[in-house]
Amino acid sequence: MRLLLVEDDRLLAEGLSSQLEKAGFSVDVTGMAKEAITLGEQEDYRVAVLDLGLPDGNGLDVLRRWRGNNALFPVLILTARGDWHDKVSGLKAGADDYLAKPFQTEELIARLHAIVRRSEGRVQSSLKVGKVELDENRQNLKLVDGSEHSLTGTEFRLLRCLMSRPGQVFSKEQLMEQLYNLNESPNENTIEAYIRRLRKLVGPDTIATRRGQGYLFNDTV
Amino acid sequence: MTLFEQSRSVRKTLLILLLPAGILLMGLAWLVHGLLLERMSRTFVESRLEDEVAFLAHQIRLSGASLETLQTGDYFEEVFHHAFAIQGPDHTLISPQQWEPILRPLLTINQEGTLRKTYPNAADGAPSDILAVRKVFQVGDIAIVIIVSEDMAVLQDSQSELHAWTGVVSMLLILLLVAVIWIGITLAMRPVISLQTALRKLQGGVITRIDERTPEEFQPLVRQLNQLLDTLDQRLERSRDALANLSHSVKTPIAAVRQILEDTERPLPLALREEMAARLNDIDRQLEAEMRRSRFAGPQVGKSAQPVKQARDLLWMLGRLYPDKTFELSTGVSEERRWPVEEHDLNEILGNLLDNAGKWSRRCIELSLRETRGQMRIVISDDGPGVAESALGSLGTRGLRLDEQTPGHGLGLAIVSEIVQRYQGSLAFTQKDSQSFMATVEVPIERRSD
Repeated sequence: MRLLLVEDDRLLAEGLSSQLEKAGFSVDVTGMAKEAITLGEQEDYRVAVLDLGLPDGNGLDVLRRWRGNNALFPVLILTARGDWHDKVSGLKAGADDYLAKPFQTEELIARLHAIVRRSEGRVQSSLKVGKVELDENRQNLKLVDGSEHSLTGTEFRLLRCLMSRPGQVFSKEQLMEQLYNLNESPNENTIEAYIRRLRKLVGPDTIATRRGQGYLFNDTV
Repeated sequence: MTLFEQSRSVRKTLLILLLPAGILLMGLAWLVHGLLLERMSRTFVESRLEDEVAFLAHQIRLSGASLETLQTGDYFEEVFHHAFAIQGPDHTLISPQQWEPILRPLLTINQEGTLRKTYPNAADGAPSDILAVRKVFQVGDIAIVIIVSEDMAVLQDSQSELHAWTGVVSMLLILLLVAVIWIGITLAMRPVISLQTALRKLQGGVITRIDERTPEEFQPLVRQLNQLLDTLDQRLERSRDALANLSHSVKTPIAAVRQILEDTERPLPLALREEMAARLNDIDRQLEAEMRRSRFAGPQVGKSAQPVKQARDLLWMLGRLYPDKTFELSTGVSEERRWPVEEHDLNEILGNLLDNAGKWSRRCIELSLRETRGQMRIVISDDGPGVAESALGSLGTRGLRLDEQTPGHGLGLAIVSEIVQRYQGSLAFTQKDSQSFMATVEVPIERRSD
């Protein structure tokens, strides 16, 4: 399994790469952002470990470049800063997991295996209906104006359900079945609240109400 | 408007506004006084002239319209000090003689009542500006014309003298007004001066807080200033404590590890390696705790966070980190609503509680944001087993200081608990059964500036 390790601390990189190799990865190491970008785009890695503080650039920019150029291998971010805000922006830039320094090598390896496993289960797909694009891996909503919105699990499942058959009316009961694992006792008000929130994002006409029947996704708007 | 720029001194603004206004108003009063004086004297003279006309007419009627009997020289003029002309059918009386060229033509004009005439080229002794009252009446069949007139020039001379005196008095009043304005401004500005002095003393370290016994208008300012000073003091004290703690607990393990590494003779058995790793872990733990602690802002003026936006970001992120669990938001708070909590502090509260819930839940975690009666309320519930009943009360508040907690073993909760305390809020945990666990944070929305 090829792994790209982007880490500028030589001592850490050396120790880490030997331990990762012991764990069965074949490791390429680089300490520069520029080289990391090129390697990520040219080589076919299964997973990458990315340090955020690099001498010639920010790790998040490297990640954005990879994602922008369709380098979609799972990425685990390493950083010394354990701020919640940093974690959010790291994941928003396209990372799959996050580990704060210092860390136990066993934990790093376990997490790497986890994100590799997760990435194998996924198809690189996004669902595009009308003007709305749903990124199924990142549970993200991309609108025609280029803005991205993150969705909670239920919002994502609800929208995916509606988008899977545009034009078809889904009753509230049907939708609730789709979301059954959310609350112990979901009620119809919950569905309405989620619909309201989704309408705010995709526009009021995109999700139409059929009185007494349910909701449908209107792809002609 | 440059005239009322905010940065201009208050004293200057007041002077610029009050002085011209005072002078203008005085001038206006003086002008109005002149106009009223003129009008009053004219009305007064007119009514006296009319009285005289009536008196003369009465005398003429008594004498049966025989003007000769009235031939009493300057009697009337002496009595009334006015010139007059009386015309009967065959006789004309004019007194005094110098007025004759003026009054004679007036006898023949066809106009009654008050007349105002000016004669710019009047002969010597004759008046240049007169007010006259003319009356035509009948005694039996005889028509009589009476004119009584007064020289207005004389009157106007004394009138303008009076007006000039009023002007002088006005000037004196203006000077007085300036003095009063000046004194008023100086008195009103005194607290500012004393505030300036206090600030200077504060900078010099002579005093540590500003006296709050200032005029009402300055009290909020002074109170805010003192609050800021308090915050600064607290922060300084805290960061000094933290640094002292840190250097104590970090330097010792560093010294120990270095000692071992420097000793090249000494073998490095497994037990020693483990000990060294443990020491490094200690350092990391101390650093982590102190750093996270030093990042708390605590309640601060002018800091606020958008709870809904931040909550969504965190929920989305945790949903990615725990892909087999669902993180949901239910909120009664609008998207744009801001809470007076510093952004990073709110992130720590939400992030730590949600992360814990993510670790321990089975399938789903729900975050609820509510606002009631001046309180913000954060409830995080999950379907995990929670903790033992007996440990419930001591969660996060087990009396341990932050730096005595082990990471992954309540450090997050201890941080939340400390932040919530800073905001004078409360953190509580409840457990219904082994299927639901709930963490509730309540923080009052304080209006500090009131």
